[in-house]
Amino acid sequence: MAEAARKIWVTRPKASATLVTISPNDLVDDARDMILRKYANSLGKTYDSPDLTLYLKTRTGFSRVMGPEEHMGTVLEEFFPNGQMVEEAFIIDIPRNVPTPRPSPRAPLPPVSGSASAAYYADDVRPSESGEGYFPPVVGTATSPRLPTKHPNASIPHSMAVINSGHLPNIPSPGASKRAHRDRENHTPSPVVHNGGVAPNPASFHPTRHSHSRTHSSSSEHIAVHPNSTMPRSPGHEIVAAARMGPGTPPSPPQRLVSPHLPAARLKKSKRGQTQQQEYIQNPPPPALNAKVPPISVLIVEDNPINLKLLEAFVKRLKVRWQTAMNGRDAVKKWRTGGFHLVLMDIQLPGMNGLEATREIRRLERINGIGVFSNAPAEEALPEEPTEEDRLEGLAKFKSPVIIVALTASSLQSDRHEALAAGCNDFLTKPVNFVWLERKVMEWGCMQALIDYQGWREWKQYSAKAEAMEAANKRAQAFKKQSRKNRTQMSES
Amino acid sequence: MALPDDKELEAIFGDTIDLTTFKQILEMDEPGDNEFSSSIVFGFFDQAEETFASMDTALDEEDLEKLSELGHFLKGSSATLGLVKVRDGCEKIQRYGKQENLDGSPENDVKVCLDQIKKALTAVKSDYEEVETGLRNFYKDDDDEDGA
Repeated sequence: MAEAARKIWVTRPKASATLVTISPNDLVDDARDMILRKYANSLGKTYDSPDLTLYLKTRTGFSRVMGPEEHMGTVLEEFFPNGQMVEEAFIIDIPRNVPTPRPSPRAPLPPVSGSASAAYYADDVRPSESGEGYFPPVVGTATSPRLPTKHPNASIPHSMAVINSGHLPNIPSPGASKRAHRDRENHTPSPVVHNGGVAPNPASFHPTRHSHSRTHSSSSEHIAVHPNSTMPRSPGHEIVAAARMGPGTPPSPPQRLVSPHLPAARLKKSKRGQTQQQEYIQNPPPPALNAKVPPISVLIVEDNPINLKLLEAFVKRLKVRWQTAMNGRDAVKKWRTGGFHLVLMDIQLPGMNGLEATREIRRLERINGIGVFSNAPAEEALPEEPTEEDRLEGLAKFKSPVIIVALTASSLQSDRHEALAAGCNDFLTKPVNFVWLERKVMEWGCMQALIDYQGWREWKQYSAKAEAMEAANKRAQAFKKQSRKNRTQMSES
Repeated sequence: MALPDDKELEAIFGDTIDLTTFKQILEMDEPGDNEFSSSIVFGFFDQAEETFASMDTALDEEDLEKLSELGHFLKGSSATLGLVKVRDGCEKIQRYGKQENLDGSPENDVKVCLDQIKKALTAVKSDYEEVETGLRNFYKDDDDEDGA
């Protein structure tokens, strides 16, 4: 395993050869991935690795096709025992019958690090997280010419505008203006290309994929699942993010959503073998997700203890802080203690209902000048001087208007209008689909984290450390398991 | 416990449960036990039985508002678990409690509303019993498997 990486010569027909780095254990299939990275412009934009065929050609004139399952190291040893020369470069061939070459949905490939192709899908859309440390997928996809149809923030200006009445500047985003109207119609104020989990889906060229419009971002029936996916394990493996697309726009391939239900441990380390390609399709990339949810604080408002328990368990898994309230009055009281980024607000509540609670929170935010840009003179910003009763304690804890996601029991449009009009930013239909809930938490959490940038940076450093420790633990456990297995095998034989 | 496949679940629950919804609760379980999901499910049993008792009382007292509230309450948790028949029954009770027909049009005759609620309550109880039996078997079987 610790062997050094090797370099192989590859070339396109009648072109100059180039070196590609592979690991000693890599298969031809892995090498193809590396080649696509190397030829990021000429091939990477148009082709996926299965489209490529590699030819082996020795100086003696022998040539043959290399199967994706062949072991690179073995091939090299067998045919180039003394090392491969430039003129023996593997030839990259692109068959003519590749269906409609078009820009791949893949975001730009980052610099190669290591060669584990298993990490390829999970990682390659995440730009380097080293210095600039922003929200990579959001920023990354926004600037990617290869993701012309999606911008995760596309409709955020709209949904923020619903309540913030212009507190936030519009975020320019490709296609946002075109879709704004549709967004309003469909009331899906927040499409998100899933942060940390956007990965090109190997199955995306499946002919049966859903390309029609799925609109409401709320309940399970709105999630189109790839018919061939391994549904039983998790309803959220694949989400067609085509929801935003009108019939006239080109269908976008499904965005793979890393399921929150698949602990990393359940993922097989990529098995080297012929089944590898299938495994990519069946096994989602490692969910690098949980640690990526920003460190937000969530207030869950729900009167039914069963539902509350479930929501609590869910946000607990996302590793965010949370508190609960079981009616509107209580919700406002808790919110007034400050520090919340997100409220999941059940609408029908005993006593003060969710809409009333939302209106009250918005009223208090307004008269306390929360979220009003500081360059506006305070006198103008405050429509009225808050009374003693309305004055919020510890204003520093209210960095921005809280995001309120309504949980509505019905799918009636009128209820949604009402929720948005009351000052909710977004809504989910009950029963809450956890995949969507996670998206909402992620999406709005990121918005809030941007506002509290310093806090986010600190968390990011902390989280990187925690992740490293977790990875180390996992390795240790895997090692233990392995050695236990070995012992069993030894005693059996 | 391994997550049962769709066919298995369908055989147990038929059309009484929306599997997509129910399975996302099963997936919250730690691998190897179903402590979490069973606590939710058994918690729901308690809640449902209490709510039905309150509904009976409210029906005797002809308290439509209370009935509507209770209908809404149980609708929420049954929907969360994917118990679609129970959910629909509760919605009926909620509607007639608000003196509305199922399409949302007003129903001014209190007597009609109470009659409809009575019918709906009987039906929803039997739907509940059906799904309760299925769920109890489901968790019982799993215990057996775990014990073996």
